[in-house]
Formats: sequence, structure tokens, C-alpha cells
Amino acid sequence: MKIKLIDIASARSGDKNNVCNIGVMAKSIEDYATLKKYLTPEVVKEHFKGLIKGKVERFEWDALESLNFVCHEALDGGASRSLRMDTLGKNFSSHLLRLELEIL
Amino acid sequence: MSKTIRIAGAQGFYGDSPLGAIQIAMQHEADYLMHDALAELTLSILQKDKMKDPTMGYARDIEVHARTLYPIAFSKGIKIVTNSGGLNPESAAEKVKAILEKSGIKGIKIATITGDDVLARLPEFKENNIELSNLDDGSSYYDSKFPPTHANVYIGAQMVKEALDNGANLILAGRVADPCLALGIMAHEFNWKIDDASSQEDWDRMAFAITIGHILECGGQASGGNAYSEWPMPYSVSDLGYPIAHVHDNCTGFITKAKNTGGKVSRNTIREQLVYEIHDPTNYITPDVVVDLSQIILQDVEENKVSISGIKGKPKPEKLKLCIGQHEGFVTEQFFFFSYPFAYDKLQMFIKAVKETWTKLPIQIVESRFNIIGVNGLHEDAVDIPDAEELNQRSELGLRIAIKHKDDRTGKTAIAGIVCLGLNGPPGVISVPGWGNMNRAMLSLFPCLIPRELINPVVKYFNV
Repeated sequence: MKIKLIDIASARSGDKNNVCNIGVMAKSIEDYATLKKYLTPEVVKEHFKGLIKGKVERFEWDALESLNFVCHEALDGGASRSLRMDTLGKNFSSHLLRLELEIL
Repeated sequence: MSKTIRIAGAQGFYGDSPLGAIQIAMQHEADYLMHDALAELTLSILQKDKMKDPTMGYARDIEVHARTLYPIAFSKGIKIVTNSGGLNPESAAEKVKAILEKSGIKGIKIATITGDDVLARLPEFKENNIELSNLDDGSSYYDSKFPPTHANVYIGAQMVKEALDNGANLILAGRVADPCLALGIMAHEFNWKIDDASSQEDWDRMAFAITIGHILECGGQASGGNAYSEWPMPYSVSDLGYPIAHVHDNCTGFITKAKNTGGKVSRNTIREQLVYEIHDPTNYITPDVVVDLSQIILQDVEENKVSISGIKGKPKPEKLKLCIGQHEGFVTEQFFFFSYPFAYDKLQMFIKAVKETWTKLPIQIVESRFNIIGVNGLHEDAVDIPDAEELNQRSELGLRIAIKHKDDRTGKTAIAGIVCLGLNGPPGVISVPGWGNMNRAMLSLFPCLIPRELINPVVKYFNV
């Protein structure tokens, strides 16, 4: 079964130099369990197909039913060096919400 | 009975609208207005202003605030704390003082906080062998070949507290870390310790204040703006109410927003702001305290009211963060549009002709980028693009061309060399007059740590 991330979570992303963090907030406790199980750093990195050059760290934030993904070397050198249109990675959240999770 | 104060998140960035803050002041819904004007890159922008005119270098929206917002706020006894002083707080204070005096306002004490700007001290650090190594890759700053544009240390809240203790009505600070503005206010009102903190109670108090500051620092982003969790946002955003924290000296409180406004405050909108720009939630590092947000308790209490508690603190980090801006070169960009029919084929032909043209020109392009607007502009290679047949059916496609270059001649020559393709190239191409960017300065940030004993923030007062 496939679940669209946008149906079970919201997201917000922001920049710190060349690092982009994407907070993913589950819509319910059950959805949080699904996120924890299936939304791994590997899945996130793969979804961005080379936009994220470094490692992706995942922090679990149980009190907020949220996961925080810290994506290193993700912003083409950082906002002011970047040739991208989305220099600050504000739309990393949007792109992540497009993800479909394969639920086993 | 615990003491309560009200702090509004009155500004989220340099260029934010003053209307939300004006409404809060008129309705007297806050005791303090906290304005954050300094994103990571804002200091680079301010440095450019300062190089053109040494009396500039502050966030210029304070001039608008001084004419519109401050008189209303001061008439109600509301105090204002901002880092809009940027690279030139004292010049900002002189400017605000002049505007207020012209309006006939008297009895106001403006405080400036400086000491964060260490651009002129970089040679001294080198001479004294102060290690400045890049937090990302470990390289030494002294090996860097690019000229510095600005160098500012993220400083804490102690001087904000001191200025308020001494009766300041308006604080114009330099690079005080965004959330520390709230800590300075709360430490003043509740008589909390900052630099002399020594107990778990002290650290927990500071951590609570920092969390409030973090929620408020992006203005409307906490009260329903930019909120996927509230999409399709069934509320008005053109009159979005800015967030207001009601905080108690027992480290509890709630977030609400201005009355009679659009937007929304919910557990969801606050959650979204809390995760923003935070890395490890157990170690949110600020100059004054390391915050553990992992046990935070957020609850919807009633409509537009979310309670907050459960935040823990740990001792401050040994060193402070220093960000040095470096001028690496320039970015130039231009936009072109292609119409049906064959929009995609024409766009591809155009790109090919651009690349061929550039090989013949006396220019040095470090890197180039071609984005199809509406297709892969925002997400680049992370999205699959539709096949040519489908794209050729589009009524229009946009092309963005961006280049990096080291000298300030390449951009102009590169763009001037390709505009002829409007006549010589594929049919149905337009460029929009006035669009694009020529020679935008390309700056990199060199983030490093510096011993805190080298940094001594200073407060000065200006009486109106």
C-alpha cells in the first residue's frame, strides 16, 4: 500500500548556511508511528535525487509528533552562493510532501 | 500569583510589514514588541549599504517604524526591542532620535548594543593566533582567499536586560541572536539571571524564554502564515495577526495573536514554527543557554490560544558563533519566455545557441544553470520533467539562465551577447524588460566559533 506524505503530515523547511532542515509534523499519533517507521533519512535523501550532497540526519521529536531532517550540503553552497531559484530551501518542505511511502 | 508579561513578535524579517505591530500597539495588546530583522544574510546586505554611506548599515525599516509605530507604542508605555541596528546601531539611534524629535516626542531613552561587529578585529585575532576554523569543513579562516564583507558574533541577552534595567524604551541592537531578544525582556521583568546563571532553575528559565523568542522571531509564521498544517488556510492572511506570548515567571505561558485579525494560532502553527531552523531538538544552542525542547508541552487551550511549558535548559556553550561574510564573486540571471507551438523545442534550441555564443565571448563563467520555470525551477533535478511532446503543447514555458562569475564584466557581456537571439533565434521568444539581476554579489558565509571572553558587548544611551 502507498501513502502520500501530504495526507499524513505537514512540513516546514529552513536554512542555516549550506544546511537545510525539514521538520515533518504528523497529523496524528498513528501517523507519527508510520513516519517513524518508514520516513528514514535514506528515503529522504533518495527523494531529493542529488540536491542533497551530504548526509541526512533524523531527529525524533516525540513531544510534537514530529521528525526533523537535517540535510547537509543541501543548498548548493548556501543561500548567497547558490545558483538555485529556491536559494533558502524553503520549498524543500513542499517537495518532501510529494513523497509516497511504501507501507508494508 | 505569578507575574505575567506580554511580548509580541512584531517583525519576522527586514522588510516585513509594520501593520501587524501597529495594530498590536494601538490595541495595547503587548508590553513589549520584539522585532527580528537579521537573517543570516541580512548583514551582507547592510554591509553593502554601509560601504556606500558610512551612516547606513542598519535595517532601514526602523525609519518607517519611527514615523508610524514608535509614537503609538511609546504613548501606551510599550517598549521595543530589536536587532535592527545591524552593523550600525549608533547611527540608527541618531536617525530614530532625529525623527522622534521632529515629531515632538520627548522623554524616550534609546539604547544601542554593539560589540558584535568584529570585522576590524580580524587582523588582531590573526596576530594573537585565535583559531577560527570552519564549522562545516574544518578549514582555517586565515587560509581563506576571499575578502571579508562582514564579521559578526552572535551575542546573548545580558545587555538587553541591562538596558531595560536602566530604563530604555527602545533598544537598537546589533547581532544579538534572535531569540535572545525575548530572554533579555523576560530576564529584566522577572529578575532572572543570564551571564551569572548557575543553577538548573536559571537554565530552565532561560530555556523557556529562548523558546518563546524562537516562536516569535519569525512574526506571522507562527500565527498561520506559511502553514501547510492549516492548508487550505480557511482564514484571511492579508490582515494576519502577529503572534503574542503571555508569559509567567513560573516558566509557563501561552501564545495567542492580535484581536480582530486574520491568521490562526494553533498547536499546529506553533509546531511548524518550533521545528523551523532547529537541528537537534535536545540541543538548541544559543549564546546564553543550550535548550532541550524534547519534552515541550504544547496544548490547544481555546481558539487561537496555545499553552506552552516543559522546556529544559543546560549551561551555555563555551564559545560564541562568529559568521564571516566573504565576497566570492557575482551572480547574473536573466529570464526568457517561449510560446506555443513547440515551446519546449524552441527553448532547447535557445539554450544550445546561448552555450555556443558564450564559447565565443571573452568571458569566464564559473558555473551556469538553466531552469524551466513551471517545470523544474524550484526543485531542479529532484523532479521528473514531462516528455518533450507534452511540454511542446504548453501555451508557454519560461527559461531562467543564471551564471556565476568572478569579475564584474562577465555578467554584462554574457547577457548582452545573447539578447540578439530574440531576433536571430527561434520564433516566439520574449524577454521582459527590467527582469533579471546583473552582478548580484555572491557571498559565502564562513561560520566558526570564537572564545566568548574576546567579545565584550557595550550599551550606549541616547536621550530624546
